[in-house]
Amino acid sequence: MSDTYDGPADFAASGRASTRSREQLLASTFVQLADTLVDDYDVVELLDVLVNACVDLLDVSAAGLLLKDQKGNLAVVASSSEESRLLEICQLQSDEGPCLDCVRAGSAVTSTDLESEADRWPVFVAAAVPAGFRSVVAVPMRLRAQTIGGLNLFSEAPGTMSDDDQRLAQALADVASIGILHQRSMHRSSLLAEQLQTALNSRVLVEQAKGVLAERNRIDMDTAFNALRRYARDHNRKLVDLARAVVRGGDEMSQLVIRRPPS
Amino acid sequence: MNDEDRWRRLLAAGSAAERAGQPERICRLCVDMLGISGAGIGMVTKEGNRGVVCATDETSSHIEELQFSLGEGPCVEAAAAGVPVLIPDLLEPDGAHVERWPAFMEGARAAGVRAVFAFPLRIGAITVGVLDLYSQSPGDLGSEELPAALMAADAAALALLHLDLDADTLFEDDFDTRSTYQLQVHQATGMVQVQMDTTTEVALLMLRARAFALGRPLVEVANDVVARRLRFSVEDS
Repeated sequence: MSDTYDGPADFAASGRASTRSREQLLASTFVQLADTLVDDYDVVELLDVLVNACVDLLDVSAAGLLLKDQKGNLAVVASSSEESRLLEICQLQSDEGPCLDCVRAGSAVTSTDLESEADRWPVFVAAAVPAGFRSVVAVPMRLRAQTIGGLNLFSEAPGTMSDDDQRLAQALADVASIGILHQRSMHRSSLLAEQLQTALNSRVLVEQAKGVLAERNRIDMDTAFNALRRYARDHNRKLVDLARAVVRGGDEMSQLVIRRPPS
Repeated sequence: MNDEDRWRRLLAAGSAAERAGQPERICRLCVDMLGISGAGIGMVTKEGNRGVVCATDETSSHIEELQFSLGEGPCVEAAAAGVPVLIPDLLEPDGAHVERWPAFMEGARAAGVRAVFAFPLRIGAITVGVLDLYSQSPGDLGSEELPAALMAADAAALALLHLDLDADTLFEDDFDTRSTYQLQVHQATGMVQVQMDTTTEVALLMLRARAFALGRPLVEVANDVVARRLRFSVEDS
């Protein structure tokens, strides 16, 4: 059996529905999140659903999620595009930016016009503005008194996010925290450090699988990820299990032909 | 044990001699710092080969050998499942492990082991072995000891793959599996795996070796692979 999948165009057709009302979109997002949370769910998949839901629901251009690992370092665990991932990485490397400030302070950090923030975050602004981003909202992922990470929303337009939207962003970030902390473990320990390490290792595994698919099909990393994600959903497989099967070889994904997106 | 930076520095091999004995060093540090009785590292390959790499004492060594010869126990399970298996009290009567590992339980009890904590040594899909910590008294690892043990497992994974080869020379902190800004390294690993038609483990080692040979940071070489400026081919090797 051979499946053919399109790249981003195919993915775009499944989401970003402009005709649906926001209420419908919100309801379907929470249904999807609830589905993801049921039973033996995959934390990478959950976070991925979440960042894409943020883009659809909050009228932002890109979203990314940073988590603290057991050493207290921040790591990118989900992003709606390779571009926003690079922006997160830029903040980690330069040790500055709204996301880092947000996680350090444990409270939301916003910028309504990045072009005027060069003094505050010189390196971040120098990367974000040429990439087309003009405003940002960062909300913390919280566990009681502890901040475990941050959800970052980048927008191509300057301006403020409404209070309602910001509350929704915080609610989505809280769902992500719950998802990470309640991820079912086959063993008795549910300690945060272990959960985080597992989440981050799953992320590494997915990156290895993206590399395999990208090389095999001569496609870029985003296209590879979208194909992996769609295949997992269509075949009711956990993203991380599928990624492992791809990396270890001899799986049905070796049959998968991914069409390159039209240039 | 409240200083993670200090623990990280302790775990990093500082000299060629320390690197050569890195698995033993890591086990000894765990015993010295984590309030446990013994530690051992076992190697588990994808082909199913298993063996004890090192152990701090007779009991640790015995418990590790026992699991490998029986094919059951927390360390075997941690390696297979790729997640830590933490058993704070082996004698807890209704623990699920009693039924899971009957033969191991008997041997562990006879050896006076009460608690076992097994951590898989992994980098994404790669699992190279297990770090096992044992205690003669029951009890969970503390909130500071567990993260420390996870860090020790990371260090041990790098040591078994010899990825810490030049950590102290050219590129400080060059390879840190959890710093996700180096996700390109893992993407590149997947690409090299296909280019060379090999396993993930070998692909990562090849990438590392190329970076070492070129005298360039691993993450830069990985970027070149992902951007398709650098290809590995069978003729190179």
